[in-house]
Order: sequence, then structure tokens, then C-alpha cells
Amino acid sequence: MGKILTVRLARLVATLFAVSLLTFLLVEQLPGDPVTALLPPEALHDLETIERIRAELQLDDPALVRYGRWVTDALQGDLGKSYITDQRVADAIRDRIPVTMELALLATVIAAVLAVPIGAFSAYREGGRFDRMMSGFTTAALSIPAFVAAIFFIWLFTLKFNWLPSTGWNRITDKGLLANLKTAILPASALALAPLAINARLIRADMIGTLKEDYVLSARAKGLRDRYILMRHALRPSALTAITVFGLQLGGLIGGTVVIETVFALPGLGTRLISGIYQRDVMMIQGITLFVATVYVVVNTAVDLLYLALDPRIRRQ
Amino acid sequence: MSDSETVIQTGKSSSKRNGFLTAISEMPVMVKLALFWLVFIVTAAIYAQIDLLLNQALPLQDPFHQPFLFGDASPVEGPSADHVLGTDILSRDNLSRLIHGAWVSLIVAVTVVAFGIVFGGFIGAFVGYVRGRSETVVMAGLDVVLAFPPLVLLLALVSIYKVRNLTLIALVFGVLSIPTYVRIARASTLGIASREFIQAAEAIGTKRRSILFREIIPNIMPALLAYALISAGFVIVIEGTLSYLGLSVQIPQPTWGNMINEGRRDIRRTILPIFWPGLFLTLTVVSLNMLGDWVQQRVAVRSSAL
Repeated sequence: MGKILTVRLARLVATLFAVSLLTFLLVEQLPGDPVTALLPPEALHDLETIERIRAELQLDDPALVRYGRWVTDALQGDLGKSYITDQRVADAIRDRIPVTMELALLATVIAAVLAVPIGAFSAYREGGRFDRMMSGFTTAALSIPAFVAAIFFIWLFTLKFNWLPSTGWNRITDKGLLANLKTAILPASALALAPLAINARLIRADMIGTLKEDYVLSARAKGLRDRYILMRHALRPSALTAITVFGLQLGGLIGGTVVIETVFALPGLGTRLISGIYQRDVMMIQGITLFVATVYVVVNTAVDLLYLALDPRIRRQ
Repeated sequence: MSDSETVIQTGKSSSKRNGFLTAISEMPVMVKLALFWLVFIVTAAIYAQIDLLLNQALPLQDPFHQPFLFGDASPVEGPSADHVLGTDILSRDNLSRLIHGAWVSLIVAVTVVAFGIVFGGFIGAFVGYVRGRSETVVMAGLDVVLAFPPLVLLLALVSIYKVRNLTLIALVFGVLSIPTYVRIARASTLGIASREFIQAAEAIGTKRRSILFREIIPNIMPALLAYALISAGFVIVIEGTLSYLGLSVQIPQPTWGNMINEGRRDIRRTILPIFWPGLFLTLTVVSLNMLGDWVQQRVAVRSSAL
């Protein structure tokens, strides 16, 4: 285990290093001089000022030098300052990450909690009416783009029924949990559709296999109740696969929130990234992309390691 | 050979046409419907392009015409004889815009599949068969690209370009699709490379190059083609998302995503301009997924019999 851990962590560091380089090089290609975006149009003829600002921002250094500086600062939690809004990128991320994290976590929870009964019952009555209905539902949920589902939810729950607000965000700290959930539940549900479908299918397939095992047969022979067998004997072996998949989804959802936040106009990391792109805000795009990719890689590695730690069969290999 | 291969080679050679027809007749009803929808979308998209080439001589409304500018109509009309699916906020015909929008989805999907199979398939088969240092380097490079959530990497990439036309968007999608195809091709190759028929070919002194092209690549094709359908559905969603954010092909070129974006402003008045592109997107992706699942099942049966 110790050796695996070392190898995985070394690989993690190498990947993160390459990710930072790629992010930097990508956004470096943005056309236009950041200085021209910074100055009012009438000041653009003032070559002296432009030179001074270029020097201040150290824009004339070679790309590799600037990369080195950027990445060294990033390691100390400093992602630089937006040329456009003058805001520190790290502050922007700290401001907005709670919304994004809450959405991703809530979506993971919704997907996990609903998928277990759906998957288990579909497997229990394989080929039955419920199973076929759910197979239709999962196919649809996997295919409908999240932003389309989100807009449809807004139309249905806000405009038709007027149950929930369509935009805006209540912070838990300001307005309490209930008001917060009112603004979070629609976006999180839209986000949860695809992972819910994947989980339900996975649990169903896994349990169909488990229900054919001898120990389930012997539990039946002992006269145990079906529900008890389903929950205690059949679901447990599936838990391991489920945990891994849920974890991997959490990483994916952090990327998926980008568009959902935009649809609901939520003050999350995704909307900040999008507005950064509209404004050609180099530092903001670089910083947020690096941050999101880092979280994604770290979460995925952590889940992999957790899986190793949980499953003795794999650990021994 | 089993039917699955003939299914996939959609009647390229006429001798296999019968196998293709049998395969269609064996499809479950839903998969048949899915195939029908896909054929309809592809035909419609091509029809719209021909219409553009012929200066709109064919019977299809002009997707850019805004009659309300001339006082001839009010924005957002319901369905009528002239506009079967109604009009949008700029009084343009919804049906015509849907059909023209299909072109963008079609081109992006076709580019991704072509790039994926040609480049991804070859690289994957190569490193999976040759192994060694090239494999380590390639796989490490892929890990870096796959370390980004797909949408975030795309956003960072498209933000570089000021002018985003269909060629550029299709190329960006195509290049970014390669890593996943490499992984699948490599994994299939690893499974095949140790099989007896490869060992036999090596034993009789067949050149490695011809083993790669004649034995390995044809045998990983079914797996790649089954994934191609799924990946086409996936990129159509991602392109729709980018379009919705206004970061894909630029307006006035209609795409399903930017139609939804434009309809969003008027959602309080009517859902129709959003409903249609949303439905077209979903139906297309459902169809690709169902067809993909079906092909995958047949491929699985085939490779277990190999």
C-alpha cells in the first residue's frame, strides 16, 4: 500500500505540474495585449504609460519566466490579480467556491440517495413494469442536456407553479438552511439527472448479479424477508463500486456546474469563469481553470486511493 | 463474421447490404425509431445546406428572414400554416432554424468521430501493440488533457479565438476527442495483442506493420464504432452547451444551443422557441445513445465469440 501511495502521489504532482503549464500556455494565446484592455481608449496613444504598465506587470519577461513566477505564487495560494477588475483571483475563488461546492455536493447526494432504491427495486423486479419505466427514465435523464433540463425546471417550477425562485442565491450564513435550499434545489436537481441515471443503472446491474448468488438463495431459504435480503445481503457488496462512482462524479460535477450556474445566475465559480471569458480576463481564466482542474485531479486521485483502501482484494495485488 | 460488423459498415459495400437490412429488421422497435430519427436529422441538415447553395430555391423558409422588421408579423407567433412550429423572438421561422441548426451538430459530431477513429484509433492501436516508451509518453500526455473537466478545457480553448466559425469549432472538438478514443483503442488492442492469431502471425514472420493494420485495427474497429455513437451524442450536448453560453459558432448562424439562449430571454411569454431545440437536442442524443447501446451489446457478443 505504501508503495502504491508513493507512486500515485508522484503521478499526481507530475500531472498537476503539466496541467498548470498547459493552462498557462493556453490562456497565453489570448489575442490582444492585456494593457489595452486595462486602459481607457483615449490613453492608448500614450506609449509611455503603456510601457510603464507593461513594466509594472512584468509583461515583457519571457513566457517561461512569467510561468515560473505564476506557478510559484500559485503554490503559495496567490493566483495574481485580474487586470480588468483589479480583484485578486484567489479572493474571487474563495468568494465563490461555497456555491459551486454546495451545488456539486447536493447533486451528488441527490443522485446517490435516489439511485439506491430505484436501482435496487429495478433489480428485484427485473423486467417488470417499474424496471421498464425506470429504464426509460434513465435513458431520458442521460440524454437531456443539463442546461435544457435546468431551463425546463425553471419554466415548470417557477413560471407555471411559482414554487421556487428561478435565479439568485441565499447564503446559508445569511438566511438559514431552508432559504438556501430553496435556491439550491433546482440547479442541483438539474445537475443530478445524469449521475442519478448512471448510478441507478449501475446499482441495478450490480444487484442483478448479486441476487443470483448462492448466499442470497440461502438467505431466502432461511425465510428472511425480501426487503431485508435486498438491503443487508445484496446492497452491501455493491456499496464499494457505488462509492467510487459517486466520488468520481463529484469531480465531474464541479465542471458541470459552470453552465448550470449561468442558467440560474448563481454567484459561483462557473459564472465567474464565464464572465472572465467574456471580458478576456487572462488572470481570472488562468486562475479558475487551474483551480478547477486541480480539484478535479485531486478528488479523482483521492477516490482511487479510497477504493484501494476499502477493497482488500485489490490492495493485496 | 457475425452480423455486428456488417451492421456497423452501414452498407459501404453492396455485397453486405443484405446483412445490413437483416440487422435493421432485428432491431427492437425503439432502436428502429432512433435510427429513423437520426436519418431524418441528417437528411434535413443536408437539405438545408443544399437549399442555401441554391439560394433558397427549395421549399424551406428563410432562417434569417425577420418579417416583423417590415411590419409583416409580430415576434413570437404560435404555430400557423406558414410557420408550422411558430416563430422566435425575431419572428424567424422556428422549423427552418431547427433544420439549419442541425447542420452544426452534424458537422461537429462527424468531425469528432472521424478524428477520434482515424487519429485516436491509430495512436491507441500503435502504442497498445508496440508498448514501450512511446506508450508511456502518449498515455502520460493523455492524462494531462483528461485531467481537465471537458467543458472547462473547451471554455479555456475557445476563449482564445475571436472569430469562431464552424470549421474552428469542429476542429477544436475533433482534436479534444482524440484522447478518449486512444484509451479505448489501446485497451482493446491490449486485449487482442496476446491472442493466438496475433502470436501465429508473429510466428510466421508477418511484419509488425501489417499485423497492426491487417489484424489489430480491423479487430478494434467494432469497439471504436460503438463508442463513436455514444461520443457523438456527448459532443452534441457539449456543443449545445457552448452555443447556449454564446461561445460556439457565432450568430446569426442558427444552432440548437443558441436558439435556446435567444428563447431564454422571452421565456415568460412562451416556451416554444426553447422547447423545440431542447426537444431536438434530447431526441437526437437519446437516439444516438440507444443505437450505441444496441451496437455495443452486439459487439460484446461478437468479441466473446472471437
